[in-house]
Amino acid sequence: MLIAEPLQKVIDELSKLPSIGKKTAQRLALHLLKTDVNDVQKLAEALIELKHKLQFCKVCFNISVEEKCAICSNEKRERSIICVVEDAGDILAIEKTNEYRGLYHVLGGALSPLSGIGSENLKIKELISRFSSEKISEVIIALNPDTEGETTAHYLAGLIKPFGIKVTRIARGLPIGSDIEFADEATIGRAVTGRIDI
Amino acid sequence: MILEELRLINFRLHTNTKLKFSDKINYIVGGNGQGKTSILEAIYYICTSKGLNQNNDSEAVNFNSNSFEIKGVFSDLTKNESRLFYSAENKKKVLYLDEKQVFRISEFIGKFPVVTITQSDHEITAGSPAERRKFVDSVISQASNTYLKTLVDYNKILKNRAALLNQIKETGRKDYIDELDSWNESLINNGTYLLKNRNQFVEEFKLYLDNAYKNILDENEKPGIEYKTLCSSIETEEIKNIFQKKLAEIKKEEIIRGVNLIGPHRDDFIFYINNLEIKKYGSQGQNKTFQVALRFGEFFYLKDKLGKTPVFLMDDVFGELDTQRSERISSFLNKTGQTFITMTDFTRFGELYKSSEDKLIYVKKGEVSYA
Repeated sequence: MLIAEPLQKVIDELSKLPSIGKKTAQRLALHLLKTDVNDVQKLAEALIELKHKLQFCKVCFNISVEEKCAICSNEKRERSIICVVEDAGDILAIEKTNEYRGLYHVLGGALSPLSGIGSENLKIKELISRFSSEKISEVIIALNPDTEGETTAHYLAGLIKPFGIKVTRIARGLPIGSDIEFADEATIGRAVTGRIDI
Repeated sequence: MILEELRLINFRLHTNTKLKFSDKINYIVGGNGQGKTSILEAIYYICTSKGLNQNNDSEAVNFNSNSFEIKGVFSDLTKNESRLFYSAENKKKVLYLDEKQVFRISEFIGKFPVVTITQSDHEITAGSPAERRKFVDSVISQASNTYLKTLVDYNKILKNRAALLNQIKETGRKDYIDELDSWNESLINNGTYLLKNRNQFVEEFKLYLDNAYKNILDENEKPGIEYKTLCSSIETEEIKNIFQKKLAEIKKEEIIRGVNLIGPHRDDFIFYINNLEIKKYGSQGQNKTFQVALRFGEFFYLKDKLGKTPVFLMDDVFGELDTQRSERISSFLNKTGQTFITMTDFTRFGELYKSSEDKLIYVKKGEVSYA
């Protein structure tokens, strides 16, 4: 079947997005075709603005409007603790909890030689350089609990400890409000090993 | 655990086959290429979501169709239905447990335990070390979900580490060495868990192997199994220390060659009969007998560990065994549980133990009939 070229172009572009397949892309494209031109215009402008107005924070590589992100420039935050995460999206997740008042550092991924990601591809040098420009007493490692994340955590700990800075890792265990019987064995196993005094 | 019913739709020769089974022995009889083994394969599919012998899923689809479906009704303390649907069009396999989709196959493994004896078991005693590791890993994985997950992680670490070793080899960059140390730590953590569990497994499994020989196969032969690895300890710290030491010793060579040189993925299991290594000195018959003993060992090991009786699948097992052994096996099967046996050579049926509870199923061109 031949699809009109402008439509095919939109379908192709949309299906490049994560978790969007050919069928979803087609549905979205057809929806856009039916949508009022002003609304489509707004969407297009919003997308362009996203790229033009946002940048990565010079200090922590969080998403930011200014050179320094809202968290880094907020004087009320605890300035001696840095929480290291893989992606800016992780900051959003942690911020929602309102439990953490320190600073962040976005690595931009985890070590994965298989996909060609080595230490030089991550913002590790930038993290280390913060130790001399800021007064840091603790680094919290909040990377994904998979093999790449674990390995990266080991790697960071090895680099940070010589600076005399405390290195911690967020706890792994059972999700709140869930049932132990429904959790998978690996999670329960780790929760038991990482048990705490009460 | 009993498989009561099985339904095959467009699975190999079976366009629409409905089967009801005995909870004792089910003899599946027919000529070559009539669809006997397909029935065993279908049972294996709904127990594990995978085909026998690592066949491609698309090969199991009937020539006149583009999808297949297998449905099985199991009864234990409760009745459960497992259904597997495969579409060749988008190469998608969907598994349902009581009509609820199963998203994590690793959580499904071990729910319906299954033990098989097939021609490819030959590789376990005669083939490469990888075949023996595969056997041991599959037995422990069926009994322990955590082992399976650790194994998957370990293999991921190996791939990453191999890529890194190669990068070091090619670029000669010194700063990568620190990264290697971090991967070593992950390798040691996961590898130690595997090694410890394999050591424990081999110790326990010896007993099951002994019993299989004593009770079923041949009381004059004494089987043995040895795990060839870095260290035979079951103390986590001790294994970690030795692993670390050996890894440091071999570091240079690993970098020169760009491969993972030590760890559970390089280990081997040695099988013995009367203290002689089977791979080197065993006869054909001794090899076959040992393979059967390993499977019986697996059967009772899983039964004890899971508290569930596995389904036993035997593909043409009596073809290579002498009359005496065949008789002993078939009379012992009465005590194991539900068994499925395919047979081509119907003339030998008389040798085998038959009870009124057993079922004889004829298969011809994908159609079944009962005796």
